Amino acid sequence: MASKHLKSLVLYTGLIGGMLISMFPFYWLMVMSTRTTSDIYKFPPQLWFGGELWNNITRVLQQIDFWGAFLNTLFVSGLVTILVLFFDSLAGFAFAKFEFPGKKWLFVLLLATMMVPSQLSLVPSFVLMATFGWVGSFKALIIPGMVNAFGIFWIRQYATESIPNDLLDAGRIDGCNFFRLYWNVALPILRPAFAFLGAFTFIGVWNDYLWPLIVLTDARKYTLQIALSQLNGLYNTDYAMVIAGTLLAVLPLIIMFLFISRQFISDIAAGAVKD
Amino acid sequence: MAVTEPRTSPESGPFQPDLDRQKSLWARIWEHRALYVAISPFYILFAVFGLFPIAFSLYLAFHKWDGIGVMTYNGLNNFKYMLTDAEFWQAVGNTFMIWIYSTIPMLFFALIIAFLLHAPFIKFRTLFRVGYFLPNVTSIVAVAIIFGALFANNYGFLNYLLQSVGLPVVEWLNAPWGIKIAISSMVVWRWTGYNAIIYLAGLQSIPQTLYEAAKIDGASAVQSFFRITIPMLRPVILFTVITSTIGGMQLFTEPQVLVGNDGGAGAAGMTIVLYLYRESFINNYFGYGAAVGWGMFLIIALFSIVNWKLVQGKSS
Amino acid sequence: MNRRRRTRWIAIIMVCVLLISGCSIWPGQDDSASSKKVTLTLWYWNRSIDDKLIARAKEKFPNIELTAQKIGGDFKAKLKTTLAARSGEPDIVALNDWIMELFPSEDRFYNLYDLGASEVEDQYLPWKWKQGVTPNGQMIGFPMDTGPTALFYRADLFKEAGLPSEPEQVTRQIDNWDAYAAAGEQIKEKFDGKVFLTDNIGSVYSQVLSQSTERYFRPDGSFIGMDSPAVRKSWDMAVAFKEKGLLANADGWTPTWNAAMNNGEIASFVGAVWMKQVLQEAAPDTSGKWRVARAPGGDGNNGGSFLSILKSSKHPKEAFELIRWLQSPENQLEQYQTLNLFPSAPGVFDTPAMKEEEPFFGGQATGPIFAESAQHVPEAFFGERYPSVHNIITRRLNDIAKQNADPQQVWSDTVHRVERELQR
Repeated sequence: MASKHLKSLVLYTGLIGGMLISMFPFYWLMVMSTRTTSDIYKFPPQLWFGGELWNNITRVLQQIDFWGAFLNTLFVSGLVTILVLFFDSLAGFAFAKFEFPGKKWLFVLLLATMMVPSQLSLVPSFVLMATFGWVGSFKALIIPGMVNAFGIFWIRQYATESIPNDLLDAGRIDGCNFFRLYWNVALPILRPAFAFLGAFTFIGVWNDYLWPLIVLTDARKYTLQIALSQLNGLYNTDYAMVIAGTLLAVLPLIIMFLFISRQFISDIAAGAVKD
Repeated sequence: MAVTEPRTSPESGPFQPDLDRQKSLWARIWEHRALYVAISPFYILFAVFGLFPIAFSLYLAFHKWDGIGVMTYNGLNNFKYMLTDAEFWQAVGNTFMIWIYSTIPMLFFALIIAFLLHAPFIKFRTLFRVGYFLPNVTSIVAVAIIFGALFANNYGFLNYLLQSVGLPVVEWLNAPWGIKIAISSMVVWRWTGYNAIIYLAGLQSIPQTLYEAAKIDGASAVQSFFRITIPMLRPVILFTVITSTIGGMQLFTEPQVLVGNDGGAGAAGMTIVLYLYRESFINNYFGYGAAVGWGMFLIIALFSIVNWKLVQGKSS
Repeated sequence: MNRRRRTRWIAIIMVCVLLISGCSIWPGQDDSASSKKVTLTLWYWNRSIDDKLIARAKEKFPNIELTAQKIGGDFKAKLKTTLAARSGEPDIVALNDWIMELFPSEDRFYNLYDLGASEVEDQYLPWKWKQGVTPNGQMIGFPMDTGPTALFYRADLFKEAGLPSEPEQVTRQIDNWDAYAAAGEQIKEKFDGKVFLTDNIGSVYSQVLSQSTERYFRPDGSFIGMDSPAVRKSWDMAVAFKEKGLLANADGWTPTWNAAMNNGEIASFVGAVWMKQVLQEAAPDTSGKWRVARAPGGDGNNGGSFLSILKSSKHPKEAFELIRWLQSPENQLEQYQTLNLFPSAPGVFDTPAMKEEEPFFGGQATGPIFAESAQHVPEAFFGERYPSVHNIITRRLNDIAKQNADPQQVWSDTVHRVERELQR
């Protein structure tokens, strides 16, 4: 009995300790958003909240079109996430559980594409966008955003271990073709994997900075990161204001994560074979 | 093939093996057309949006271009310059060192945290997940301000802590190893929770029946761990190792926002991609930047293959 | 259950496809096609042009539909990719002090002389005007603000160290770099090494260099050589400052610098007029204690911007009218008052607005000092490779300052590197 409590205590201490370290910088960010810029480097460091939060936030809202950028970012992130989830899971499932000619080389090619740094393709990608006439439109953000080798790799790995072959056997005996197997067997099992891929795709698009900066021309289409970057002065930056704006931009992500976090719990705990 | 016995080996691998090798290639392709349709969206999109930039950069690597004007043919000069440039090799060294300092502890911590979170009697799971997840959500610029404040030479928070226990101040951002530690800690802070959640998802998909059956068979906790958990987790571990390898080799944003485009004092924080970025976008040598990108691709590919073999090599 | 779920998925996919293809549902997509108005797009960064002035421009020029876009972050990267792809180019674009990097691409810009710029040439500082003109005589940049330099110093710290503290005294007695270094040693002694004369080695080097009529290249493009008197003098002075322990090693644009200033660790620095704003925001606790005097060794310039018209513009004449108005001497004066942008039109230097007393500087009117400085900035030729050579040198200087590298060693290494750089 005592050892169970001890075990519990140790575990909780470890988890909480790690979490405090994890959250401390974020806590400090919150503190800074409530202070002035010159407070940030006072010595000794200021660790408690100040009273400037309202001031900082109002100034952010005055200087940039926060709500417009928020809606734009929501639209782009949401759309890309849905598309990525659908297309990547199809391909990941195929790679995980099926054999077909050329599969090995196609997969190697997939991995290889992840190794090319994105900075390299900045200029030629923009030239492509110009050729298609997509400069300044959301298409330039969404369609290239669907090319996500990472997601396919993730689904493949997850599906490999979590979709039991006998389930697929049973489905095949029932006469299911590939797509039926995908809909009926794979999708329910992949739900936790979807939750992860969806969350992090969403976050990635939400926080993407360099490509939208280059590609968007109309201020009405700006995403949050671009809008926030307008706050940076050339000669000097009001950090407290920028941090306040950044926190505002992070809030929706946290809410989204809380919302789907429950999906991480797999409901295949029993591992039984379904018919 | 009905399941009545517990399995102790992973059910990985293909469910529908390719048995009829006698059929012609085209017949087999046609037979599996559904699969090709499934994977084609990625490859089509990639052919358009991925292949062109890659081919363009390959072409560019043999030319000299300032980004606006005319491209002039430069033969192998870009590559020669790269191989003889001390700063390039320094960047390669920096990148590997930072990778070692950051990736190995990070994956280790992530695994531990995932196990802790997976323990059945832990409450407040959601709270913990949010707490570990926050670092990855915050925009990198804000994070850099914080870490800059943490590691600052004279008025940094860490130095404040050191001073208050009587230890001497460390000039983190002036020392080559200090800069690497600062960047590595930024990476560890930012990505541990992310990888922990990946491991957690993997852990949670291992069927409980395996553990129960092993218990019935008399296996101890340690045996279960090594013969059920680790093998079942292997595909996910492989995933994190490969993606952290690629991500670590491509490290750019963290050093750029922490120490600037020049990699800080003595260029100790200059990673390969930062070097590429500086040469292309600041010094206007796009052709050279493309050559560096290809050099980098080779390095990453080799390193990834090594890591893949290490993780996957001992498959059952 | 299956059918419902499948139907739901199909519906989602179809909505996505519709949304992508018809992105025009999003409000505000289409441009209004008004035939009488001329549409001009302007790119600038935060605080380079007064937003209120831009608003007034729309009233002043009713026939111009002006879209002013504030580009944050990597302005240069966006400009270059846009120019490379020849798509989405604005009509008017603000350029910073890296304007010379664009000289090889002068054909992408309108020659402002062709649009009538010479009519107003005499209203602007000649050295600033010339910075916007390419070696081929094409004017691609219209002068915006300038960055004349002066010595910022803490009068209270100077006084305590037994140094002159009134601006006129400082100007007279600390009039060259050796005298400045000597003052630094006095400060070091008095404050026991807790207060430094100036911030970092790079700025010493840059400021000395900016006081010379030479940089790294001759107007014909040839390299003067690392042994040129200007470079050697600047280098040696910077190294001397390091060796005498006069540097706080606080890099500019970092919160560390801000903290050092605010905590009284740095007693002075030579900086451009726009550093006033930076300093005030970085070190509010030191308000009232700073003064400004003429820089030791002479006057120089750091930074400053320009406005240019891209060749892709369909309305260069209207664009030029707009530029002329935005940067007219009166409007430059106004932007001095709202944004602290120092004018490049000397005609307004004598107005009362530029002689206001500033509480941060203990009631001193700093305007006249900078005005004098602006009128004596030496003309120099930069060349399009100036930034890359300059960066190599300042980077290596930092190794000496921060890592105690051997100056001789670093010098020969730097020479070698610059030579390699020029061969690319």
